[in-house]
Amino acid sequence: MRRTRSPARYAAAAALVLLCGAGTARAQDPNDPFATSGVTVTDTTGQAGRRQSNDEVQGRYRKILAAWAGGQTEKAAADLMALETSVVRDSDAGSRKKLLKAEEAVIHEIGGANIETLVPVAMLHHEVYRRYLTMGAKGRSLLLVHSRGMTRDLAILYKQQSGSEGAALVSSRILTSLGGLLQQYAQQLPAAEMFYQALELDPRNSAARIALSIVYEKNSQYQSAVDVLRKVLAADPDHAEAKLRLALNLKRLDKAGEAQKILTELAAARPGDWVTSLAIQELARLYSEKGQAANAQKALEAAIARFPDDARLYVQLAAVLDHKGEMRAAQALMEKVLALPPSPTSTTASSRLLYNTTRQETFEEARHFLDENAHSRLPLLAEALNVPNHAAIAVRVGS
Amino acid sequence: MSGRRVGKGLALALGLWMLGIVGAAGTGVARAAVGVQIETPAEGQPVFGSTEVKVQVGPGEPVTRVEVYVNGKLVGTLTKPPYTLKYEAGDENVQREFKAIAYSAAGQAGVATRVIKPVQIDDVMDLKLQQLFVTVTRGQERALDLEQGDFKIHDNGKVQQMVTFGKGELPLTAVLLIDSSESMQGQRIEEARRGATAFLQGMKPLDEAALVMFSDRLLKVTPFMEDKAALLRAMTQTDAAGGTAVNDFLYMSLKLLEPRLGRRVVILLSDGADVHSVVPMADVLWKTRTGQAMIYWIQLEGGEKHHSFASAWRNAKENDKEYETLQKAVLESGGRIQRIDKASELEGAFRSILQELREQYVLGYYPNDTKKDGRWHDVRVDVQRSGVRVRTRDGYVDF
Repeated sequence: MRRTRSPARYAAAAALVLLCGAGTARAQDPNDPFATSGVTVTDTTGQAGRRQSNDEVQGRYRKILAAWAGGQTEKAAADLMALETSVVRDSDAGSRKKLLKAEEAVIHEIGGANIETLVPVAMLHHEVYRRYLTMGAKGRSLLLVHSRGMTRDLAILYKQQSGSEGAALVSSRILTSLGGLLQQYAQQLPAAEMFYQALELDPRNSAARIALSIVYEKNSQYQSAVDVLRKVLAADPDHAEAKLRLALNLKRLDKAGEAQKILTELAAARPGDWVTSLAIQELARLYSEKGQAANAQKALEAAIARFPDDARLYVQLAAVLDHKGEMRAAQALMEKVLALPPSPTSTTASSRLLYNTTRQETFEEARHFLDENAHSRLPLLAEALNVPNHAAIAVRVGS
Repeated sequence: MSGRRVGKGLALALGLWMLGIVGAAGTGVARAAVGVQIETPAEGQPVFGSTEVKVQVGPGEPVTRVEVYVNGKLVGTLTKPPYTLKYEAGDENVQREFKAIAYSAAGQAGVATRVIKPVQIDDVMDLKLQQLFVTVTRGQERALDLEQGDFKIHDNGKVQQMVTFGKGELPLTAVLLIDSSESMQGQRIEEARRGATAFLQGMKPLDEAALVMFSDRLLKVTPFMEDKAALLRAMTQTDAAGGTAVNDFLYMSLKLLEPRLGRRVVILLSDGADVHSVVPMADVLWKTRTGQAMIYWIQLEGGEKHHSFASAWRNAKENDKEYETLQKAVLESGGRIQRIDKASELEGAFRSILQELREQYVLGYYPNDTKKDGRWHDVRVDVQRSGVRVRTRDGYVDF
């Protein structure tokens, strides 16, 4: 997979906006269509409404940031969505540009006051992007592009302008979390872009590496997946999920020997979690494919002893026994399946489903880290906007 | 005729009696110095449970005792005629060697052995009735006016003698295999329930059904039952959630049907292709070919559009192959694929399949050329009428 854009390019583009003095200065430019024509506001049904001036949009955006800085999470996110939805229409590609300019003007102002304010602002756009995704892309293509682009560019800009190692960690995790959202909605290639950029900012970001390996695997680029996973394991030799994924990618590359060794180790040593269950299934499958039905049977019988409620293990063992000609023994397993307790519907996922998805747990550490970092900078944002910061006060009081 | 000692050379005068032993017992019997033979169990006689062991000793030198061994273990010593004992053989189908040693007063001995081989179960399978469920259509209507003489069965090109003929009166055993993955949430699962309900309510006395609801896990399975109310209750207790594992649970359904007799059918309802199975579709095809169950696939809303995709488990090409193999399994089984565009058509689809099953002809024959060699037998049914189309299974594996 090739990268098409580098963080430096994004940063350069974003920094240009920040440094060239957008915002109020541009509003006075007679050649700026934003300043002369205003912005067309639409209602929620997509009907064009009255035009909204650049200053008006900036003013609304500033209030939204103030609400965010003041700890009014829900109001800030909902108001930003309302603002963006009122300005941007899929049928008008230029509408996004106008919104971008208005938001950038405010960001220029507060970022100039304190670069650390970019972190909570990025997280607000991240939250709005997440909400757009849950609502679906229909009629929101430009909004999705916009909110994702804002989050990404703010993250990269923050790192570029700050230059600190801490900023690199924060920015890397913002991009990782964005990639996680994209992957959750099956947008593999844009997700990969995010993970690449996250890794450039912080090469030790194992969540981004694991997620990137899944993109490779789903695109049949098994050698690339193996390379990425070996790097994860070099940094963290006990990373069980990385081992499992490495084994299955190696098997795809006809390196069954190494795959078998890893799977055997996982099957024997790990506790009874999804990685163990899957390692056993795949070890048994490997044996079956090699014509070693007795070994497959042994592995699955041991697995059933450990995971007696997993119907799939009985079915897999029945298939192995059928091929061995032991039809009656296979049939007896079906009787056991009939006696299994019902599977909880929504609270658990099978190990095979978990393997095929990037688990959101992978990104939890990144998101927790971001929440803390964004929250700790809210007073700075409030200060830059010259508004009180109730959230920060509450934290101080609480702590 | 007197007893003869082993080692002194078997004189021609050994006698007709001894020759008689050899002739009767074949390879399983040894010559005896003291004339002795095992009368029962006879050659080829199945040995299970309480078994009479009857030993005959020849005239001549008096015999003082007869020891009887089974598989080298002494099971009785007889000191006077009749030399008969009861041996409890149990029900294990294994080879048993019976040995009788007769001792004379002069200290000479004669030995006879009989080896009883285990019963060849496969011999029974030679007589396996092949049943063909045949749908005959004339234009858009099913042809219901045919008689036995209208059909001709070909097995590997050879015409077979039909031994049974019936119409739709043969009871039905069905597995309703309902995809309850996340994509079936909402109206789809409701319509699926409605359709399955229509099927169950159309069942006649002696018909039985089992319900299997699956996603990437087994969500619900019931035993086969005639109790419609219980089946309906089971259906309403399950929500749609998770991924899709068609292969695993189709294999399981075929396996559940395996020990059943008569008309067996799996009705698979799924809106998508397999993603999360551990059992390959090739195994499902093999299971279809070695069994006699039909598969009907109700494919909701363009399932054909969904199959060309990549996952961590299979790339697009591999998924395409899985999909094609499923189609093959359905068609080879004598079932069919019913594609529907809207969930609201599900009830009609279930009803039409039940109606079709009721209007099938059932032809039975004992194949005259089975070898249990695992080879495929082509089956063709001709109808001696013009303008009709005939559908039944394509063949079976001689297994």
